[in-house]
Amino acid sequence: MLNVLLVDDDSEFSEVVCHIVEFLGHNINTAANLAEAEQWFENNTFDHVFLDFMLPDGSGLHLLEHLKLIGQSPRVTLISGHPSVKGKLAEMCEPNVGHLVKPLQREDIERVLNPKKASGKKKATPSIKRHFGTLIGESEVMQKLYTMIERVAATSANVMLMGESGAGKEVVAQAIHNATQCDGPLVATNCGAFSKELIGSELFGHEKGAFTGAVARKEGVFEQAAGGTLFLDEVTEMPIDMQPNLLRVLESKRVTRVGGTKEQAVNCRVISATNRTLTDLAQNNVIREDIYFRLAVFPIDIPPLRERKEDIPLLAEAFLDQLNDENGTSFKWQASQIKVLEGHDWPGNVRELRHAIHRAFIMSDPKGSTITLPDSLESPFSRVNKKAEANNQVLAGQTIEEVEKELIHATLDKVQGNKTIAAQMLGISTKTLYNRLNAYGGIGEYK
Amino acid sequence: MNNNESLRQLVHDARAPLNRISMNAELVKLVLENDMPKDKALAALDKIIINCQQCSEQLQKISDTHSGE
Repeated sequence: MLNVLLVDDDSEFSEVVCHIVEFLGHNINTAANLAEAEQWFENNTFDHVFLDFMLPDGSGLHLLEHLKLIGQSPRVTLISGHPSVKGKLAEMCEPNVGHLVKPLQREDIERVLNPKKASGKKKATPSIKRHFGTLIGESEVMQKLYTMIERVAATSANVMLMGESGAGKEVVAQAIHNATQCDGPLVATNCGAFSKELIGSELFGHEKGAFTGAVARKEGVFEQAAGGTLFLDEVTEMPIDMQPNLLRVLESKRVTRVGGTKEQAVNCRVISATNRTLTDLAQNNVIREDIYFRLAVFPIDIPPLRERKEDIPLLAEAFLDQLNDENGTSFKWQASQIKVLEGHDWPGNVRELRHAIHRAFIMSDPKGSTITLPDSLESPFSRVNKKAEANNQVLAGQTIEEVEKELIHATLDKVQGNKTIAAQMLGISTKTLYNRLNAYGGIGEYK
Repeated sequence: MNNNESLRQLVHDARAPLNRISMNAELVKLVLENDMPKDKALAALDKIIINCQQCSEQLQKISDTHSGE
């Protein structure tokens, strides 16, 4: 049984949806506007929110922002009569936000509240192996990573994860935690998200009355992670003058709450993460050397996705399976689409791949079974990177025709001469591509 | 409000009764499929009839507003 909140200003519609949702065996409450919805969330939690896009006091998207602010993440189904909302959703790429277009049907409601049951079929066995319950990939670099995780899990050493943004540092932290089979929880915190004044309280906790606003005693993350794993994300973004306090805890294995006098023993493994390179760490004075050696007893490099492109088909399959399960759909990849995904460099790594797949999933025709990839997979980040790359390769004095020819040939090389995919990647029609190739003196090697 | 916006608003207003019709029809189906008290179904059918009228009025409004363009 789910706790559902329906936010819609049409009272008659709300009333009848209540009957239907209650009949389906769930609890439901209603709100007629954003203010009422926010009030509901003050003292309640909901598993699912049906949210009208246009409300009298704002857009449904404002409630999504509010939920983020208060740290609640129910599944949300935006209801709208405007197909344009689909586009907005695609931009947002929120994994837990779905969309229904008015007029609704009972099956729609049933499907989003119980996607697995509504889909009517369950897979016998998951075909994609998740190493340590989380990690996907069978490439050589990932096998090395799995070996490292196994080795370090057998010890209590602190681990520092290094890798580009989106490469999956938190997932690897979860994998190490799972492999350790400890009794305590995995507690994650982002050191870059707290001001100098607050980070002490977040890490070490505080006593009641320790400072203005400390109205109650609070456990720090070191205490919360007792017997488990503490994941310090973006550790290098922690204010440098707070680092000695962290060093003291790491060295003494004891923590004192802010404003407190009693020391408590710390018995958790600390996994820290940074997206900075070793050179960056050394040159830019973002982390004290003594802290680095305490945290990085066992440093692990997480490979970027472009170095394990052979894992892209598995990842794409896993992400699409998950979306199909959640939404009761049965989209499938075509081989040519996987090739397009493999041809992209994914500067935003697995996170970018996941978002691109989610965006494609939203844009696909729900009545069909084929996923629709956008014409271009470029993100603002890949554009910047490509520009930088191009700047290195393009020489002053080259003609536009020469550069264009190189670009077309490089793209064709990347997709093994497939002109349809190459044209898609280049953002031109296949006919234009043929015209260009003819102009360069025949289709030649790409025939 | 320009013509496009006013048309969009009118279409939005016409969709609201359609949405109620659809949900009330689903409720009638539920009642019939599950042998529930028929007064619920009758009330829902009344609402469907009222909303059909409303929808028709909205469509007329669209036609009146945009027939001169």
